[in-house]
Amino acid sequence: MRQRSGAFAIAATVALSACVQTRQYSDVQFTPPQGNYRLLVLRPDVTVGSLTTGGMVEPRAEWTDEARKNIVAALQAQQATRGGNVTVINHRNALAGVSEQELADVERLNFVVDEAIVQHKYLGDYLPTKRGRGLDWTLGADAVRLGQKSSYDYALFLHAEDQVASTGRVALGVLGLAGCIVGFCAPNIGGAEQLDYASLVDLKTGEVVWFNVVDAASQVPGIKFGDLRTPEGAAQMVERLLGRMKPGHDVRRQQAAR
Amino acid sequence: MCLRCMEISRRSLLAAAGIGAAALHTGVANARIRPADMIPLVGPGFRPTDRDEQGLWHEMDRVEEEIADSNLLITDPAITGYLRDLIGTVGGPAAKDFRIYLARIPDFNAMMFPTGFAVVFSGLLLRMRDEAQLAGVIGHESGHFLRRHMIRSWRDQRRKTDIFSVGAMLAGVGGAGAGVYLGDYVQLAQLGTILSLFKYSREMEAEADAMGAKLIAEAGYDPMEMSVVWQQLIGEEQATAAYRGKHRERGSIFDTHPSNDARMADLEADARELRVPAKRYDNHRARYLTTIGPIRQMLLDDQVKLNDPGASEYLIETLAQDGWDGLLRFYEGEVWRLRNRKGDDVRAAQSYAAAVVYPNAPADAWRWHGISLLKQGRAAEAKTAFSKYLTMKPDAPDAAWVRQMIG
Repeated sequence: MRQRSGAFAIAATVALSACVQTRQYSDVQFTPPQGNYRLLVLRPDVTVGSLTTGGMVEPRAEWTDEARKNIVAALQAQQATRGGNVTVINHRNALAGVSEQELADVERLNFVVDEAIVQHKYLGDYLPTKRGRGLDWTLGADAVRLGQKSSYDYALFLHAEDQVASTGRVALGVLGLAGCIVGFCAPNIGGAEQLDYASLVDLKTGEVVWFNVVDAASQVPGIKFGDLRTPEGAAQMVERLLGRMKPGHDVRRQQAAR
Repeated sequence: MCLRCMEISRRSLLAAAGIGAAALHTGVANARIRPADMIPLVGPGFRPTDRDEQGLWHEMDRVEEEIADSNLLITDPAITGYLRDLIGTVGGPAAKDFRIYLARIPDFNAMMFPTGFAVVFSGLLLRMRDEAQLAGVIGHESGHFLRRHMIRSWRDQRRKTDIFSVGAMLAGVGGAGAGVYLGDYVQLAQLGTILSLFKYSREMEAEADAMGAKLIAEAGYDPMEMSVVWQQLIGEEQATAAYRGKHRERGSIFDTHPSNDARMADLEADARELRVPAKRYDNHRARYLTTIGPIRQMLLDDQVKLNDPGASEYLIETLAQDGWDGLLRFYEGEVWRLRNRKGDDVRAAQSYAAAVVYPNAPADAWRWHGISLLKQGRAAEAKTAFSKYLTMKPDAPDAAWVRQMIG
């Protein structure tokens, strides 16, 4: 549930207009993984729900399962193009050599670190001490230990939530649009929203090297910017979220100097 | 669906509605729900068949995984097994399906999740004086599941927000068409929607109370114990408020739960209906205390460190109605010592002195008794107390220092 509130907080800032927005941050020394790297994806957190007429989100089991399957497939396909070897863990007991409790600890730690990143990078509480230092957060020794025990190079944490406007919601939007004729114009009651974020942790150093948020929101119900329930929609999401990984500030400067 | 929570969600709902500081404090009176009318709505091995409920269950799987792996859980098999047996006794038809987790949180609460797993806070175990009281709270939580409260309240919210949204839109469009402004009515309707959501939530809590009373009576516990729990809670709240110089919160129309006073009164009436005349009820106090024995000191310790001396003192005195012992006397002393007002050192010293008379006085009671004696200039007696402390806790972190002090 806590993850939810974090998600809403991000949504509140990014979702000011009806469009797709992404905003990524990276460690100044970050180079996007290339070549033969091993990537561990820890329990992707996916929820797809229906947006009710009154604006509540009703989670749907079969849509969620479908979306998760599509996202995992898209992720594997996409990372393979960069040379990455991806393993997706769906349960905490599924990682050989690492106990459930250790994995839970890393996940919980990552969660609070992600919250801090959102707070200080996205929600406006900028820290003067971190100015110009890119993404400057770490999971520390726990993540390094996870890397040593599991022999993965990177860990990816992924959250995706998507909504599909119900017929009632769409009808309400149409009514709001129709009202423009008589002078009560409410076309933007808020439609479905897709919110995704991911963080990449370097398991050699324990540092969070890259973080990205995608918000695909529509103020008009019925208009969608990608549907995670379809393989195309999931591939589009993965591409938006992970496809354009930029190198860190220092790395870019070196590249420019060369 | 917890015993007395949802504070945060209630506030956010209010804030979102933009109601502001509406100080509409009125008494809230609902008709009492009779235990006899509380028929379980699910049978054994219940699985959801409706789409919305399946979605809710699916989402809860991850929540349960998170809770089951939480590092706040107390996992002592004797205690968790006891809780499992208890919910197996007062869980009605779903008794075998429930899971129950004990979290180390020093607060009076317990909650049931939509898929049939319950979380009990350790603060609850401290406050319950016997098994019957604990059974009452667990019966209440089972009641939420058996009456399908989560999906029912979700559907109620969905229905009411749907109606409100459509109504507001129609009022806007229709009003604009007719050339009148209906905004004020829309705001009233919004307030009405929100209030009816809270009322529905209170009704469910009342249902769970009645269902719980019925379940524990069927399991052979005295149903009157449930109202005693609320009596104790009211007393504790009063003690906290009095100490902090505030008034205890009473019921308002924005409450998600019925007021504690109303719940106590209703539960008393329920118990009178359910009680079998001339039957002798066993509250299984001894069994309860034996089970929580290994963690009782930890429970008291967590409570005393909350910096709520009003409540802690009330709690200890309530527990002591069943008889004082070394543990209770020691923590009584700790309340005074940590409060540290004028004269509290003397009170604390008296409590420590009283504590060490009992065979179950913890080692720390001897330590603080020794320190108090030292302050009073009774060095020889202090030495004896410190020796006793070292015998009981030879590996104490301050053992070397104490040893050096007593020479």
